[in-house]
Amino acid sequence: MQWLDGIVQGILLGGLYAQYALGMALMFGVMRIVNITHGDLMILLALTGISIASAFSLSPWSVLVALVALGAILGLLLQRLILNRVVGADPLPSLIATFGLSVALQNAMLQVWSADTRSLHAGGLAQASYQFGTLYVGVLPVIVLVTATALTGGLDATLRYTRFGRALRAASADVEAAALTGVDPKAAYAGATAVAVAILGFAAVFQSMRATVAPADGAFQLIYAFEAVIIGGMGSIWGAFFGAMVLGVSQSIGFRIDPGFGILAGHLVFLLILALRPQGLLGKD
Amino acid sequence: MTDASAVSAADLFDPPAVRVQRRTASSIVAAVVSLAALGGIASMPLWATQGQIRDVVELCCYIAVAQMWNLLAGYAGIVSVGQQAFVGVAAYALFIMAQLWGLNPFVAVVLAMIAPVLLAIPTYGLLHRLDGPYFAIGTWVIAEVMRLATSVFGYVNAGAGMSLRVMASYSATERAVGVSILCALMLLVTVGGSYWLLRSRYGLALIALRDNPVAAASQGVAVGRLRFLIWVAAAAGTGLAGAIYFMAQLRITPPSAYDPNWANIAIFIVMVGGLGSLEGVIIGALIYFFADRWFGEYGATYLVVLGLLTLFMALFARGGIWGLICRRVDAPWFPTRRILVEDKR
Repeated sequence: MQWLDGIVQGILLGGLYAQYALGMALMFGVMRIVNITHGDLMILLALTGISIASAFSLSPWSVLVALVALGAILGLLLQRLILNRVVGADPLPSLIATFGLSVALQNAMLQVWSADTRSLHAGGLAQASYQFGTLYVGVLPVIVLVTATALTGGLDATLRYTRFGRALRAASADVEAAALTGVDPKAAYAGATAVAVAILGFAAVFQSMRATVAPADGAFQLIYAFEAVIIGGMGSIWGAFFGAMVLGVSQSIGFRIDPGFGILAGHLVFLLILALRPQGLLGKD
Repeated sequence: MTDASAVSAADLFDPPAVRVQRRTASSIVAAVVSLAALGGIASMPLWATQGQIRDVVELCCYIAVAQMWNLLAGYAGIVSVGQQAFVGVAAYALFIMAQLWGLNPFVAVVLAMIAPVLLAIPTYGLLHRLDGPYFAIGTWVIAEVMRLATSVFGYVNAGAGMSLRVMASYSATERAVGVSILCALMLLVTVGGSYWLLRSRYGLALIALRDNPVAAASQGVAVGRLRFLIWVAAAAGTGLAGAIYFMAQLRITPPSAYDPNWANIAIFIVMVGGLGSLEGVIIGALIYFFADRWFGEYGATYLVVLGLLTLFMALFARGGIWGLICRRVDAPWFPTRRILVEDKR
């Protein structure tokens, strides 16, 4: 029973990780870059959300709308001001630029919000739960998982069936050939980053409702997103989703074995999959 | 027809009188200054106070860690943001050998380099499957795994950390002599060793690799093997710096040993000083060292500026300060070029 509970809670936790991982999978797929500020942007959105919620006494759902919009704007700015200058075959410039920005952002947030952990007041939702026999399942984590599934499905459908999605896929396959057929790579890139950071708006609200956020947490979220993407298989949106589930379950089971072992168990499963199936669970051979 | 072939044959057997010149006036000055600096560092107990020795040890460790990162990112095309894994594992190896096994700590510092090598080999085997940017985040995961695993490993006192109490059996002077000589050796191995490597035929391969890996491979450079060897060598050098740093600290805990700040420092020093040059690392390390002394008290604001400066350098001045200097004056301290000079007959 304890293990079944571990698996269920792990899948629910995976719903949160999927929301971190989707944007990273999208950006890497389209631009072959990893944005090291990925986690820090999520924390920035979360802290902003907590501040505006208390300043204007907004409900979490209005905060969600505000943060998704703010995320899209931040994504556009990030792409225009920084990433467009460092996109290219060489991984170094984009890594170093976003690494520097990450250090700056973390410390700037530390100045503004101090090192305290904060959270978003979720009303009765935080305690509400369904009961299945001896198993308790929180309502909020279920909402998070449903949202993550909807986001994954929506993103996948967007990539498959819309003009914007085709432009993104063309740009990721061969940026020069895409430009020849009338795709504006800069617009595609800006769109990808805006969508990626907008999804972090969802993650930010749910992270701060489910748990707490502090300025230095971004690095961990970046690593979880990365592990989910690699476990699932690079370049696959549903892969990132399933990778997040595997990571969530590994951590959740690990925590039940020993509280000091939870996060480590997630890392070890990641390394194991890297050793045994480097193309990821859903990756093509 | 016979005439033309006779001329070319004569050219073949009597090549023009040229020689390869590698030394420049600036490099001779730099060599003298470097040797003097090494001598000065090794003889610190004769002229420096305890506080000054501490500062110089710290500066030397920054130079060594940064130069190893420079070798990876500037030449081998490997970006790592997890070099703290090697700092920490070597430092812990020193503490285990000296404190738990009773080895002479000054010998243990050198032996401690085995640990990062043992970690680097499987790490590369796992991570080289990942695409460039993902490799970098992978190195971070390795460092996190090491930190978390050390935090639950009872043999090294888990999260509470260890103290190097055996150092109490040496007098302050003995410790100063030992650590000063080790520092000079570390610079000789990391900076001097890199310079030697870059001037050797491996250096030619490395420079080819830096400029274009595909072209280098087509010219017969074993790109994969070279990257692996540089990765392992950089791990050993980074580990040596970690062991010496924590020997001077006398105390270690998992968060301090596997502090991501090591990667920050290395990246800042190399990007500001100048990627792919030995001179840049020394300039960058001096800037970081003095900036840390003068502005460290501003805490977070100071780190915001460091981060933005790294970002700015990556966007607009990828050659760093040394790159900007090179555009104006041609006076390399550690030249790796081969200049063909024609002799008058």
